[in-house]
Amino acid sequence: MTITAPPAPPTTTPPPPLRNRSARPPAGRVVKNVGLFVVMSIVAIVMLYPFYFMIDTSLKSDSQFISGHGHSFASWIKLNSEIPWAHELLNSTIVCVCAIAIILVVSTMAGFAFAKLNYRRQTFIFLAIIAALLIPMQSIIIPAFYNLSKVNVGNFNLLQSYGAAILMYSALGTPFATFLMTAYFRGLPDDVIEAGIIDGLSYGAIFRRIGLPMAVPAIVTVVVLQFIQIWDDLLIGLLFLQNTDQRTITVGLGVLASGRTTDFPVLMAGSILSALPAIIVFLVFQRFLINGLTAGIGK
Amino acid sequence: MSIAPIELEEVDRLPQASRALRPKKTGLVRRRSRTGLLMTAPAFILVTALLGIPIVQAFYYSFTDWSGGLQPTHWIGIQTYITEFKDPQFWRVLENNALLLLTIPFAIGIPLGIAFLLNERVPGWRFFRTVYFLPTAISWVVIGMVALRFFATDGLLNHMLAGVGLGSIQTDFLANEYQALMAVGITFVWSMIGTNTIIFLTGMATLDLSLAEAARVDGATTSQIFWHITMPQLKRFIQFAVIMTLISAFTALFSLIFVMTGGGPGFGTTTLEFFVYQEGFGPSGLFATGALLGIILFVIMAIVGLAQVRLLRSKD
Amino acid sequence: MATVRFDQATRVYAANHVPAVNGLNLDIADGEMCVLVGPSGSGKSTALRMLAGLEPVDGGAIFIGDRDVTDLEPKRRDIAMVFQNYALYPHMTVRQNMGFALKMAGRNKADTAARVDEAAQLLELEQYLDRRPKQLSGGQRQRVAMGRAIVREPQVFLMDEPLSNLDAKLRVSTRTQIASLQRRLGITTVYVTHDQVEAMTMGDRVAVLKDGLLQQFDTPIGLYDRPANVFVAGFIGSPAMNLLAGNAVAGGVVAEGVTVPTPQLAGVSSGGRVVLGIRSEDLIVDSSAPAGEALTLNVDLVEELGSDAYVYGTIAGTDKRLVARTPGRRAPSRDEQVKVRVQPDHVHVFDEATGVRL
Repeated sequence: MTITAPPAPPTTTPPPPLRNRSARPPAGRVVKNVGLFVVMSIVAIVMLYPFYFMIDTSLKSDSQFISGHGHSFASWIKLNSEIPWAHELLNSTIVCVCAIAIILVVSTMAGFAFAKLNYRRQTFIFLAIIAALLIPMQSIIIPAFYNLSKVNVGNFNLLQSYGAAILMYSALGTPFATFLMTAYFRGLPDDVIEAGIIDGLSYGAIFRRIGLPMAVPAIVTVVVLQFIQIWDDLLIGLLFLQNTDQRTITVGLGVLASGRTTDFPVLMAGSILSALPAIIVFLVFQRFLINGLTAGIGK
Repeated sequence: MSIAPIELEEVDRLPQASRALRPKKTGLVRRRSRTGLLMTAPAFILVTALLGIPIVQAFYYSFTDWSGGLQPTHWIGIQTYITEFKDPQFWRVLENNALLLLTIPFAIGIPLGIAFLLNERVPGWRFFRTVYFLPTAISWVVIGMVALRFFATDGLLNHMLAGVGLGSIQTDFLANEYQALMAVGITFVWSMIGTNTIIFLTGMATLDLSLAEAARVDGATTSQIFWHITMPQLKRFIQFAVIMTLISAFTALFSLIFVMTGGGPGFGTTTLEFFVYQEGFGPSGLFATGALLGIILFVIMAIVGLAQVRLLRSKD
Repeated sequence: MATVRFDQATRVYAANHVPAVNGLNLDIADGEMCVLVGPSGSGKSTALRMLAGLEPVDGGAIFIGDRDVTDLEPKRRDIAMVFQNYALYPHMTVRQNMGFALKMAGRNKADTAARVDEAAQLLELEQYLDRRPKQLSGGQRQRVAMGRAIVREPQVFLMDEPLSNLDAKLRVSTRTQIASLQRRLGITTVYVTHDQVEAMTMGDRVAVLKDGLLQQFDTPIGLYDRPANVFVAGFIGSPAMNLLAGNAVAGGVVAEGVTVPTPQLAGVSSGGRVVLGIRSEDLIVDSSAPAGEALTLNVDLVEELGSDAYVYGTIAGTDKRLVARTPGRRAPSRDEQVKVRVQPDHVHVFDEATGVRL
């Protein structure tokens, strides 16, 4: 039996060289991109102008500001003696951290429960909390102030301590935070929770060990948004932190601004100082912010 | 292992028992309900105690001559309401609020446009996105101060107008009542751009591209796709943005006005939320009046908010 | 020792509505792989969830071993479950996912680690132990879900369509793995699927459900050879059984002008309406068949599968469709007209009104 050689593989011509499509987009697209870039830059300038203004002004002394020329650090130095900024920054931090802690605890629990632990009457309670979003601060400020002035914890009045402000911030931030957390938890698949039940967990444990870790983007969103809101708030701080020793930086700045000081560069320096933490927090966490918002509103 | 198949006659009949059955609650369901209730309680209590009760109190006090406990309180009934409704200042204030409403289309439209620009994903768009959102991190106090300088007689706006050749309309924008209000409005829109742009960008990220592609294959123009395919999908987000903007316009402007104009000139920029402060805490104010105005503000918010929701929902 | 028994188990979602699961009676032996199969809405998943304790039992009872677990919470039933979408904890590694339940139950770390490693070895997951679910492919995730269940060493395994999210090829290979795994571990398993091929290949016994009612509970061959009613006959087997309406006559059935002798029908009243069921392999293409014994088929589709071919067509003069199997490569072509005759000892007859096998 002769062994035939396997048939020779068919000859193929080498494939034509690939056209370099990815290297350069078509001309029309480039023009469009450039145009968009220009427009967006203009918008960026509009949005960034105040920052530029703030920085520029803060680096002038008062006389330089009035004349419009020159730069110096004089105003920053003057700021140091105008307001106890370090102390006020600390106060702001304390108030923020405490209020956000309360908001997180309260809203994550509520959000998880509303989304996954259905019970009768829950719609009513949910609406009650969300409806609070519509309550304007100004409407309740006066009665709330009056109420809290009557509350004495230990031997000091709530208003004389951080307590009143922290409580108010917590209450004001809870509705929106609860809304976001509920929406986010709704997006969690039910079967992961059922797996937890089969594995023998109580609902509380499921919340702590499964729900919370999965909700990190939403939690960060709440932290960032609330931080900015609380840090930058004026009204509550003005009214509920009666003790000047506990003033926040924003209030300090506000008082300075409405006072007799007309030294504008100093005000600008103070503004930058007060704005910095919020900006930093935002920059660091912005990606989470987008994620959390997507889940929250998209449902 | 072979088992005889179940005789079908037995199976076809509806078991008698099931006709009288209702869904039962197992231990698991009861535990779930209890845990659910417990977990939502703190939020509910916090909000009710610090927000709910004060609102009810404000409602009550608005019918009295309450002065914050400094003097005994007497029930006055709707007298204060009547006094207030007769006060021309009150209506002026409401007028201001109504005028501010006119800024909302801008506060929605401009960010929508910017979001579309960003969505094109031009190289560097992430940087722009950050930049646009940055102003959100600044407090109203600061914005107010900067805006004050911007609109002042020797401020940047006037310089720019002169530069463009419109020097004739240079003025101290904050000296004229309606112009000052407009200045406040412009500042407000500017500051809402960041937040709303992010909201709309988020919305665009959830868009289903295949819908637009299908439409394109069916021959729709870009404009048709925009109005009939893209916009309906964004409706939820626009709704959300409008409500948030509205809430801001009616409650958050206090700080801005406080720093920028102090409510003036005259009552030019006194909106209702500022008026509450003025009447309640100001030199001539009565807490009761403050409470009353606060209630009116709340009622307006509630009405507008609900009308909002109903209006946009019906367009579904 | 863990048998599973459903005793008139019933689940209604709202009073006076048709129950989702209606008086289910099932006796599952220890170590058996019992498959619940049926179209969507048949109640198979609900029945499984009732066994798991995730759905309440509104009527009847459920037993695991000789314990009445009807009102027990899932964690007390000593069961483990594999979910359709795997339900892996996304923020935990594979190792943590698999060891989680044991950790919650308070086992010591060494013991847990040992069991996890053992299961990982069994499922060939060793190299993935420190990865997170999102870094795994669908098939790998499926194995992790199984691993999580195995580690528990429960009395009963519950599986809710674990293969439906895998691509076809993976499904076939994983199917055999699951079946051999179950045999090796010897743990009673209740397995839900909508795919009758899975049911037939994997189950020791298969329960066919429809609209909440049990249609038949039998071995796969039993279901195939002796379907208890028309539904089971049409559901089991691919391609589906041919069903023709006809009349009972003495010693046979007349359908579409052809008389088919059915010796086993002795005793059924003549003239009754019946349904004749013929599997495709029992319909022979035979051009030499005499007229009164064969149907004429207008072929419109031929599926050539290599070893066999399936011929689809309509009976001449009607719009009733039939499918016949022929040896491969010798099938008629489209638009041909052929004669098919019936293998006499392999027909099934059902009462037309009740659908019950006669």
